Amino acid sequence: MDVEAKRIMALSISKLYSLRTQRGGLRLHRSLLLSMTMRAARDIYHTAQLLRDAEEEQVVPCAPDAATEEPMEISKDSSQTLTPKEVAMKPQESLEEDKENRCASERHSRKRRDKAALEPDFLPLKKAKMDTDEEKQHLQGEILRTNNGNSCRQVDTLTAFPTNRAIVAC
Amino acid sequence: MMAGVGGGNDFQWCFSQVKGAIDEDVAEADIISTVEFNYSGELLATGDKGGRVVIFQREQESKNRQVSRGEYNVYSTFQSHEPEFDYLKSLEIEEKINKIRWLPQQNAAHFLLSANDKTIKLWKISERDKRAEGYNLKDEDGRLRDPFRITTLRVPVLMPMDLMVEASPRRIFANAHTYHINSISVNSDYETYLSADDLRINLWHLEITDRSFNIVDIKPANMEELTEVITAAECHPHQCNVFVYSSSKGTIRLCDMRAAALCDRHSKFFEEPEDPSSRSFFSEIISSISDVKFSHSGRYMMTRDYLSVKVWDLNMENRPVETYQVHEYLRSKLCSLYENDCIFDKFECCWNGSDSAIMTGSYNNFFRMFDRNTRRDITLEASRENSKPRAMLKPRKVCTGGKRKKDEISVDSLDFNKKILHTAWHPKENVIAVAATNNLYIFQDKMN
Repeated sequence: MDVEAKRIMALSISKLYSLRTQRGGLRLHRSLLLSMTMRAARDIYHTAQLLRDAEEEQVVPCAPDAATEEPMEISKDSSQTLTPKEVAMKPQESLEEDKENRCASERHSRKRRDKAALEPDFLPLKKAKMDTDEEKQHLQGEILRTNNGNSCRQVDTLTAFPTNRAIVAC
Repeated sequence: MMAGVGGGNDFQWCFSQVKGAIDEDVAEADIISTVEFNYSGELLATGDKGGRVVIFQREQESKNRQVSRGEYNVYSTFQSHEPEFDYLKSLEIEEKINKIRWLPQQNAAHFLLSANDKTIKLWKISERDKRAEGYNLKDEDGRLRDPFRITTLRVPVLMPMDLMVEASPRRIFANAHTYHINSISVNSDYETYLSADDLRINLWHLEITDRSFNIVDIKPANMEELTEVITAAECHPHQCNVFVYSSSKGTIRLCDMRAAALCDRHSKFFEEPEDPSSRSFFSEIISSISDVKFSHSGRYMMTRDYLSVKVWDLNMENRPVETYQVHEYLRSKLCSLYENDCIFDKFECCWNGSDSAIMTGSYNNFFRMFDRNTRRDITLEASRENSKPRAMLKPRKVCTGGKRKKDEISVDSLDFNKKILHTAWHPKENVIAVAATNNLYIFQDKMN
C-alpha cells in the first residue's frame, strides 16, 4: 500500500510541476485535485512508514547490518514529520505564487527559514526526479493505451505561477 | 431504448451526418470543445480549441427530397476568440471556446454568447440577401461620384444577392474573471446571464459590458485554505431568481438571488453521503462534478461526475433520485487513468426535450443514453465505420471480465484518446449531436 502511495505521491508532484508550464495558466481545479491526492497518498505513505519502522524496531532491536538503510530513512522521515497544521498547509504551497521557490536567493531562504529543517522528500531534488522518471517508465507497461504515454507536457515557457492577488471583479 | 424494439420511449438511432476531417492526425485547434443547439433546434453551434465557432443550419424538409431529412449544413463560420497574453501575470490566455449559449430568437437575427477562459462575447448572426443599388453619391463599385455631375436624384432599390451570413461581435464582456471561466448560462428573463469561474460567479446584463455583479465568491481569505472550486453553474429555466452551481467536492448549491445580493449562502445544498467502502486515493477526483443541467421542466437537475450521472429532485437535498453508472468498469482502473490524466476529463450531460432520457459521453467514442422511465440504457459508438446514411447504430457492450463475447470490447482495448465529452440533444426532436474529438456526428431516431 505504501509503495502505491509513494508512487501516486511522486506522480502527483510531477503533474503539479508540469501544470505550471501549461498553456493557459495554472488550472486551479486540477492543481487542487492533484494536491489533495498527493496529500492523501503522502499521509498514507508516512503512516505506513512509521508503522513499519515501529514494527522493525520491536522485532529487530539489534541488527545493525539489516538496518543500514533504515536509519537513514527513519532520520529522513522524522525530520520530515510534519505537524497536522503543516500537513494541511504544505500541498497548498504549490498553489501559491511560487517565484520565491524558483530562485535560490536569500529572500527565498529567509521566507522558508522555519521550514528548512522540515523539507520533505517531494520537493525538487535530483534524486526524487530520477525516482519519478524510473517509476514512470516502470508504469508504461501497465497503463492503459494513451496517446504517447507522456501525460506531463514539457513546455518550454517562461510563464510564472499566477498570483493570488485579488483582482476586483468589475 | 434498445434498437429494434418499437414503441414508447424506445429509440432506434441512425447515422445521419458527420462533419470534420477524416485525417488520422488531428490538429489540436480542430478539437471540438462545445456543442449547442439553439432554442428551436434549427441551428447547431460548435466551438473548438482554435477559438472558432461553426454554426450549422438545418435544411427545410421538403416532401420531394426524402433523402435529406433535415440535414445540417454549414451556415456560418467565424473566429470568435484569439489567443491573448496577460502581461501582468505573464500568462497566455487560450482561445479555446469553453461554452456557447444561444439567446432566444427575438428578430430575424440570431444571437449567441461564446466564452473562452477569460472573455465572453455576444455575437450577432444575421443574413443578408439583398443589397441596395442605385446610390446617388457613389458608383456601383463604391467610388464617390463627382457631386457636380449629379443632375438627378434617384431612390436606391434593393436587389437580391447571394445569401451572405454575417457574424459580428456586438458585446465583449471582459476583465471580470481572475480564474478560468467554466460556465455561462442565459437567464430566463432574457436580459441577464451568469458566468462562472473556479471561485466566482458574476451576473451580467446583456446590454452592459463594463460591469457585472459578483453574486458568488468562494475564494477564501487565505488561499491555503482552499478546499473546493466551482465546476459548473446554470440558471433555472423558469425562475429567473434561481441558479445552481456545482463544486469539485460533488456538492450542488441552489441559490436564490432574492435572498441577498451576494449568494454565498445557499438556499439548498445537495449532497449524497459518500460510501466509505468505495474510498480510494482518487475519491476526491471522481466525485468532482463536471456538469450540471436543469431539466426542461425545471423540477429536476442532473449532475455528471467521473463515473456516473445523477438526477436530483430539487425538493430533495440529501440524495439523488436516480443514479446511472456510465462506465463503472473504470473504477478499478483509476490509477492508470490518473497517470494518463483521463481521470480529469470533464464529461457533459444533456436531457432530451421531454426530460424522459439523458445522454452523456464516455471513451472509445462511446456515448450512453438512459431512459428514465424504463430504466434501460444503451451504449452507442460514434464511428465512421457506421457512417452509411441512415444506418442503424448497433448497441455496444464493454466486457468487464471473464470471457469476452463476440462484438464485445474489453476494457483494456478501449481507446482513451477517443473521448466524447460534449453532446447535445435537439430541444424538440430526437436528433443528437455528438462531438468526437474533431468530428461532429449527427444521429437521428428512425421514427423521426
